[in-house]
Amino acid sequence: MDILQQFLTPFINAELLLLVAVGTLAGIFVGAIPGLSVTMAVALLLSLTYSWDMLPALALMLGIYYGGVFGGSRAAILVNMPGSPSSVATSFDGFPLSQQGEARMALTLTTIFSFIGGLVGVAVLATAAPLVSTIAIQFGQRDYFLLAMLGLLLIGSLSQGSMAKGVFAAGAGIILGLVGMDSIGGGSRFTFGSLQLMNGIDFVVAILGLFGMSEILYQLKTLNEKGQTVTLKKMVFPPLRFLFKFLPLSMRVSIMGVLIGALPGAGGEIAALLAYDHAKRTTKNPNRPFGKGAYEGVIAPEAGNNSAIGGALIPLLTLGIPGDAVTAIFIGALFIHGLQPGPMLMEQSGDLFWVMVGSSVLANIFLLIFGLLVVGIFIRVVTIPKQILLPIIAVITVIGAYALNNSMTDVYWMLGFGIVGFFMKVHNFSVAPLVLGLILGPLIDTSFRRAYMAAQEPSTFLLGFVNSPISILLTLAFIFTIFSQTKMYSRMKEKMKK
Amino acid sequence: MSMKKRVKLIGSALFLTPMLLLAACGGGNDTGASNEDAENYPERDISGVIQWGEGGATDNISRTLAPLAEEELGGTLVMENREGASGATGAQYVYDQPADGYTLLFGAENPNLYQVLGISERDYLTDFEPVSIIGQSYAGIVVKEDSPFESLEDLIDYSTENPGDITMGTSGEGGLPHVASAMLQAELGTEFNQVPYDGDGPLATALLGDEIDATVLAVSAAQEYVESGDFRMLAVINDEPLDSAPDVPAITEAYPEFEKYLPWGPFQGVFAHKDTPDAIIDKLSDSFEKAQENEEFQETLENLGVNPLNINGEEAIEYLEQNRSTSTWMLYDAGATETSPEEFDIPRVDEE
Repeated sequence: MDILQQFLTPFINAELLLLVAVGTLAGIFVGAIPGLSVTMAVALLLSLTYSWDMLPALALMLGIYYGGVFGGSRAAILVNMPGSPSSVATSFDGFPLSQQGEARMALTLTTIFSFIGGLVGVAVLATAAPLVSTIAIQFGQRDYFLLAMLGLLLIGSLSQGSMAKGVFAAGAGIILGLVGMDSIGGGSRFTFGSLQLMNGIDFVVAILGLFGMSEILYQLKTLNEKGQTVTLKKMVFPPLRFLFKFLPLSMRVSIMGVLIGALPGAGGEIAALLAYDHAKRTTKNPNRPFGKGAYEGVIAPEAGNNSAIGGALIPLLTLGIPGDAVTAIFIGALFIHGLQPGPMLMEQSGDLFWVMVGSSVLANIFLLIFGLLVVGIFIRVVTIPKQILLPIIAVITVIGAYALNNSMTDVYWMLGFGIVGFFMKVHNFSVAPLVLGLILGPLIDTSFRRAYMAAQEPSTFLLGFVNSPISILLTLAFIFTIFSQTKMYSRMKEKMKK
Repeated sequence: MSMKKRVKLIGSALFLTPMLLLAACGGGNDTGASNEDAENYPERDISGVIQWGEGGATDNISRTLAPLAEEELGGTLVMENREGASGATGAQYVYDQPADGYTLLFGAENPNLYQVLGISERDYLTDFEPVSIIGQSYAGIVVKEDSPFESLEDLIDYSTENPGDITMGTSGEGGLPHVASAMLQAELGTEFNQVPYDGDGPLATALLGDEIDATVLAVSAAQEYVESGDFRMLAVINDEPLDSAPDVPAITEAYPEFEKYLPWGPFQGVFAHKDTPDAIIDKLSDSFEKAQENEEFQETLENLGVNPLNINGEEAIEYLEQNRSTSTWMLYDAGATETSPEEFDIPRVDEE
């Protein structure tokens, strides 16, 4: 009974209800603006809510968190500028959809399936948190390496046209990801003695340049050739059968999302990328080819990254370990408000757990409501003539890049990426593999080296791949994914059918 | 284009404008030097640069102290995180701003090690003036609960007999476990296989998941896992047991030779450019001293496991010198760095 009461607290307490609502709405806009990160917003709230009680402070922060992750996909769909790394995958099919006049469909579908993904995340958090955190803790450095390698196989899905160009772009991305201070050895790589380069390249900066700025430059090229505005299709609401059609896919990627989100070393961005990959591999007959505006291509990453939030809260609430950058600030907030986040948190303040679960459900409900309500506002962005829209976006990319770390260096990087991205587009290189390399490169680098250093000898290192159940599973998944692309596999499959 | 449609479009363009304004709020730092009197200081917003990222100990302490200091100063502190390169980016940024007291560095112990580790040329004692040292935390050596090592002696004996066999998780160059391992190596000849992780959280995860055999954590961070029965703390790096962990022996109990290095541990402080006028430093120091006396802030420090120091002036400089000498010479003696602290005129602790 206690649990139910705690769970319902945010629903019946007007203050909490309002704060979650305000947070979610504000989060949607914060997330939608490239360069304004959820992490930054939640950190600002830490000072702002210092003198508040703990629950209202957490309710507001949680609302921003859910709203922000969701909001990131708005800009990804409308202007091909993912608001955060976790919505990169949404832009692959979201932007083509909006260019074909189906922005309303894309925005509505992603809202509904973000809601479903979010709820799956909360459900797992509420019912299986201790179990999932046990698995997450056992997830070793070798497993992160395997997971990142699995992610890297996405290059195949992302490089439209020439595979070689995709591999080249991903390789370049990995090398760019190495720039800066090596977090393991402490040495500097490709920094040429410059302190600015020691920071490395923020992948949000790369996203702003490669997706945002390069798109502007590319569209300038054809500004006078094509029609200037996109005509919106009349479609008001997706038919109900869509809900049932996409439900199995969204459930699968949501479960994936929770598990990946619960890993302390991987978050929503990897969950969304793998969800996209999963959708592409398992969808037999998409409405359009992937990359050209497949509905599955926007549903899967959005369900995946929203369910990852519930996942990220699992290690936070069960072990006091952050699942990502935002939950790291939650830990700070708990400390400041006199709690001791750690494995004892659930025992010492069990009410907190259920209030967080309740607030999460509430945040998802508001996300659905506001998400559907603001579609009408966001949608107009698409109808703005390019001559007006492009300069505005250009300014936003510059400010966004600066605001990340208050650094001009990031602006230069962003512009550089914009120009590189432009030429890549001109020469039919897909920019997505480059971003993929930037995101996964550092993870591959550190996890491989840590696994190797801990093993001390090559033989123990190799044995590790078959020693633990998680490693075996991932190794097999990796081998199977490669094998399934070979001719031998398709021949075998045909024989099986006969 | 019909009139109505035009109005709609302008409306949409207007909708984008607040986005721009919002984005612009992310950074606002005033530059440009001027010679104001300390009397009038502060006449405009003071920029507070936190050298570590959101959610870390330095961030938490700085962001809770800032509103209290604002009240004392009668001005506004605009806080921002400039992380990267072990905090060197933030330190360099503050150093590059005019020495007028309008840019303050909220930093941790790291800049004391930049020179010997070759991370940056900046250094607290030569480039900055301490406004206030807020507090210090303590470090504890921890193993997992089911570890065969029951005491610090067990761990030390095993690692001297089997060099490189024990995997010690560290938080990178100059981090707490790295310096503590150097301390053990310099005094006792231990040898660990060091594997670097990204901070306290990942280290605790790695220890829970059996990836590493031992590590050094801030006592406050480790204590929760000790209470839950997941970790065992073998010793605290201090000359007496701590109130927060009364059952854990001090390192000097088994190895009195560590006495000369103590007190040692991570700390947080507020710093201004070296050439800032004394009158402004005094005003800042006074304000920050009063701000820290706030009871709620003291509670926050306690929650974070930080021992309040609230020192400034000569006392703060002596504290920094002691910390720097200990850490740098330990790293050098253990062979963790080839750059001798002597090159930067850093005296040895035992020579003082």
